[in-house]
Amino acid sequence: MIWLSWRQFRAQALTGAVALILLASFLVVLGHQIRDGDHSGAELRDRFQSQVYLLDAVLLLTPALIGLFWGAPLVARELETGTHRLAWNQSVTRRRWLSVKLLLTGLAALVAVALVSALLTWAASPLDRVADERFTTIFFGTRNLAPVAYGIFALVLGVVTGLLIRRTVPAMALTALVFVVTQALVPNLLRPNLVPPVHGSAPITAEVVRNLSFLGSQPVISGLKMPGAWVLDTSELRTADGARVSQEAYDNCVSGSFDAVAECLGALKLHVDVEYQPADRYWTFQWLESGFYLGLTLLLAAFGLWRIRRSGQ
Amino acid sequence: MNAMSSVLKATGLTKRYGKHLALADCDLDVPAGRVTGLVGPNGAGKSTLLQLACGLIEPTAGTLEVLGGQPGATAAHLARVGFVAQDTPVYPSLTVDEHLRLGARLNPGWDAGLARRRVDRSGLRPGQKAGRLSGGQRAQLALTLAVAKRPELLIFDEPAAALDPLARDAFLRDLTESVAELGASAVLSSHLLGDVERVCDHLIVLAGGRVRVAGDVDALVTGADSLEMLVLTHLKRAEAAR
Repeated sequence: MIWLSWRQFRAQALTGAVALILLASFLVVLGHQIRDGDHSGAELRDRFQSQVYLLDAVLLLTPALIGLFWGAPLVARELETGTHRLAWNQSVTRRRWLSVKLLLTGLAALVAVALVSALLTWAASPLDRVADERFTTIFFGTRNLAPVAYGIFALVLGVVTGLLIRRTVPAMALTALVFVVTQALVPNLLRPNLVPPVHGSAPITAEVVRNLSFLGSQPVISGLKMPGAWVLDTSELRTADGARVSQEAYDNCVSGSFDAVAECLGALKLHVDVEYQPADRYWTFQWLESGFYLGLTLLLAAFGLWRIRRSGQ
Repeated sequence: MNAMSSVLKATGLTKRYGKHLALADCDLDVPAGRVTGLVGPNGAGKSTLLQLACGLIEPTAGTLEVLGGQPGATAAHLARVGFVAQDTPVYPSLTVDEHLRLGARLNPGWDAGLARRRVDRSGLRPGQKAGRLSGGQRAQLALTLAVAKRPELLIFDEPAAALDPLARDAFLRDLTESVAELGASAVLSSHLLGDVERVCDHLIVLAGGRVRVAGDVDALVTGADSLEMLVLTHLKRAEAAR
């Protein structure tokens, strides 16, 4: 069964391997370029940020491609061409047939994504230290463990979709859709709540104000940064006694010249109450989210192994 | 041998696809050691019965025992039944040799010598991709895969329907020889009465999802003009009853 699974997967595996070797070589070269010479943070951004963003996009896309081109056709093509009637009448049960195929392609997906993720994590680490945004969608999902879990999930999602839809191209389309929706929902709905956030207070100094992305006509802010942490929510600007700063005092500062705004607000000794995930939870989050995806993967695989008994028609 | 006295034993066997009733409450008992012909018009339920028999699909109601066990439930049971599906599917990108290797890897009872002899005699080149074989060659390859696992029961679903007369002649000859060589029972469906008359010694007539007649050909033909007349009589009766 291993021989047949490999023989049928060979062409796709080779295509994947060629792409993988090209990508890995590029990452190794880039990693050395980023480290060669003594670049300041700003220089690193200028020279390499766009390339790293591109590679982030490639790594975000890789699990989807695995689901589409390795996963979806795995069973769907057999059902579509009728060869399942040949395969399932050898002396091997369908469950075993599917298990071996899932294990082999799953292992290939794991190795492929783990290699790219490890190399990208290494290559981009000097830049990532400057950017300091480890929890955001792009950085969280393209570094360390999480992409590997996405890859295995996408593969099994593709296989099971193919088993249900029974036709390759529609199965690919549905796999892509479900995967994209999952990848959109998890960072927005699940990830912030994996662990209850910490509630704290952050002083609003002039320095903090300069780095904000938004100051409203009301005394609310957005874009507050805390070192390495993931800020989920910030309250309105508050004075030391916890009351909202008066609109009058706020307007006085904001209507001044741009440079003076920061100094003026800083002088008010304001603070915001903030809800955040501290920096030291990064690995907890990586493990929890990977675990969530792997749990989904196991459920899907179990469903597929149950469903294949009724897929003979 | 008592467990082996029937190769197929159906009780109240029913298969429904949505609203369509493919098989309705069929009772059957096909004895061992026969080559059974399953005949009937298109849509009579022949394919459904054979796919139930090899475990590809499951009945809606009733039971079907094949060689005394549930079809396709275990690897051991799968090894005892050889199935050649309609239009004889093979893997287009695998060579003839790779198909034999597939058979050897996936079947513990694989008879490599038998497979090799059959492939040589059919004139299949080992290195040829199965996707480039003619219909007759493909049928021969599918038959080889089913036979070389040395099953006790061979099931053929319209195996020769798509073949030209010469290829069909060769295929049916090989089929008969293979069944004899294995000492196996066989069930084949066909809507070509000539084929059935030539290879079968047991007959089941299916129409409208029901068994119209079943029995040994010799016993059935006694008192009828010919097998063809017998079958037609039953089919017309089934038609009139609708």
